[in-house]
Amino acid sequence: MGQFAQFAINGLMSGAIYALIAIGIVSVFKATKVVNFAHGYLIMFGAYFYFTFSVVVPGQEWAPAWLASWQPDWLLAAKEGLPMFSPMGAVLDWVANLPRILFGLVGALFANAVVGLIIERTLMRPLMGQSIFAMIMVTVGLISIMSGSAQLIWTADAANVPYIAPNMPIRFELFGTMIFIFGTDLVNMVIALLLFGGIVAFVRFTKGGIAIRATAEDSSTAYSMGISVPKVFSRAWVLASTTGAIAGAILATRNGISPSLGLFGFSVLAIVLMGGLDSYIGVFIAAMSVGVMEAMTQWQLGGDWAEIVPYVAVLVVLIWRPHGLMGQKEVERI
Amino acid sequence: MKLNRRSFLASSAAATAVMGTPMILKAQPSEYVVASSLPLTGPFATAGQLVSPALKMFEAIVNEDGGIGGVPIRTTIEDSGYVPATALANYQRALATEPNMVMYYGDSTGFMKLVAPELKGDNATLMGSTSFASDLANPAENPYQYLPGPSYEDQVDILLQNIKDAGGSTVAFIFSNTEFGRDPIEHGKKKAEELGIKVVLEEATKAQGADIPTHVTKLAQSGAEHCILQGYVTGVWPQLIGGARQFGLPTQFHGTFWGMEKLIADRVTAEAGPFLDGYSGVMPYRYSYDQEEAPAYQRYAAFQKKAFAGTPLENYMPTWGLQSLVSLNLGIEALRRVANKGEEITADRAAEELAGIKDFDTGGFFGGPVSMVDNKIGTGRVYTYKADSGLFVPSSDWFTV
Repeated sequence: MGQFAQFAINGLMSGAIYALIAIGIVSVFKATKVVNFAHGYLIMFGAYFYFTFSVVVPGQEWAPAWLASWQPDWLLAAKEGLPMFSPMGAVLDWVANLPRILFGLVGALFANAVVGLIIERTLMRPLMGQSIFAMIMVTVGLISIMSGSAQLIWTADAANVPYIAPNMPIRFELFGTMIFIFGTDLVNMVIALLLFGGIVAFVRFTKGGIAIRATAEDSSTAYSMGISVPKVFSRAWVLASTTGAIAGAILATRNGISPSLGLFGFSVLAIVLMGGLDSYIGVFIAAMSVGVMEAMTQWQLGGDWAEIVPYVAVLVVLIWRPHGLMGQKEVERI
Repeated sequence: MKLNRRSFLASSAAATAVMGTPMILKAQPSEYVVASSLPLTGPFATAGQLVSPALKMFEAIVNEDGGIGGVPIRTTIEDSGYVPATALANYQRALATEPNMVMYYGDSTGFMKLVAPELKGDNATLMGSTSFASDLANPAENPYQYLPGPSYEDQVDILLQNIKDAGGSTVAFIFSNTEFGRDPIEHGKKKAEELGIKVVLEEATKAQGADIPTHVTKLAQSGAEHCILQGYVTGVWPQLIGGARQFGLPTQFHGTFWGMEKLIADRVTAEAGPFLDGYSGVMPYRYSYDQEEAPAYQRYAAFQKKAFAGTPLENYMPTWGLQSLVSLNLGIEALRRVANKGEEITADRAAEELAGIKDFDTGGFFGGPVSMVDNKIGTGRVYTYKADSGLFVPSSDWFTV
């Protein structure tokens, strides 16, 4: 039972990251009916911006030393003699990195929001009123543009970034088994859940959220009722790119920086289809389920099955409910 | 003119000379082409982009040394994105557009296996690659493809022998779920059994973005004393080791060629601490900073300083670049041997000369002279990473398997 709990927790932590990635796809679809195939690459840009502001900029000669590593006397004294991977050592390392972590996150949020806005204003908005298929094709083309641009700007070099949270080991006993969790994964999960909850609350309870929902229902009617549909489009893209920036930063801490980060978007697309393209709650359930299924399959059947079993489940769900677990069934009126 | 025996012989000799001239001219083109496919984009773009300048350096140095029989070479590089079908298309395009192509350099096990059946008749070309896949060292089936070092199976054999010699009794295999990752696993299990080492875990992971906590949990459950990592390049292997150390596992980690790059180990150390200290693995070649007994390295270093100033290659050649240089140098040696015999260069003749390379001095890439046996060079040694110096240092003698 303890082992089951360990792998379930691991799965939930992966699922939370999937959910965070999926928010962006759902947000853009809800507002614009466009499935953004390039979302993984928006996330990759977020990761590279986090790398730029947390590693590249603080490493420059002109940058203040405290930005790269904050080393007040009390911190140095506290670190003295601590073994590597001690919980306190991990916290103190994180404190020393805190200025560049914050700088990296703020920079990534801002820069990715600008990228999202540029995509919306220059590529998506001119196609408003045209076939949705054309807009989807633009996002497919965007994959090549973004992947090529990233390599031009940052090269294909692999690199590492600082953890967003203290990466201390957390151990506790459950059902007679010692459970182990990486501190940073736990915090990543909390960040993902808070963001997810915040966005669902925003869409449910705020004026801006109601505008997104109204546009999702029928953009022409929403327009005629005084809702600025272009603004809703912009907001959706900014939401997708800022949540993508956080997701990218988290992925970069887990896997390092490389152009292959963009590929994550495709695996999450299947999860979004399972949950329902326009349902935050459905996508959340799907993301958590796939995360847990992956971990359980890895545990019981090994890695050969871990990539297959969850996606077979996605297919089964789609056969049973073509619009996903909680997706809205489209009604065509003749 | 009166035709007698003497005038007949003289006329015949003149006619033969006239008719033969175009063939001689054809056998001496203005240049030979060494074409290649590299992953300049895609998951292994880091490696592809670092190897690419090494190919241009190789071209310059080979031409300084007189090319192949006095004919200069030209290298071409096309992007495969690490997609075997794209690399195959690149090869077919090179065949069609480069009539003087004498050698091809491929970029993956997948491509080398895909192209193998096509290497027949006029389509055959001498072919090295970035892969150490065991199936590629099979001269009976495919004499044109070769390995510039020991196969992954050989490398795992060496690691297992080292584990045995160190008194190890249990081992875990963690590998990426790719052809590259799986290549030596079945063989490794048999070898471990032969040596009396118990395989306590076989764990396949994603090649990128692996679920580190889950894999580390399984490693902890297995209780493995040693863990062999296979099928990774820039990512996953450092995260697995870091995760295991945080978990408090005492497991000793070992890697094969593609997981032994100093640039990656240094970056991980700089960002996440010295947890890779003690990580060891098989390396067929000297690291590029070990130049004392390697005149070829000294020459490359002088070239790099001048040509690659301001880039990561200025003072260091990644192991991935060294592998390409060895592979291409072996191919060039075979082609030069054909040319030196005054014969026209064909894939068959080149393959024959390649198979006959014995006690060849590579200029210090390996520990001593090497021989091509079964289209591979089974030489290497174990290196261990020292986080304080940022160097992989030798922890065994050179050995031949």
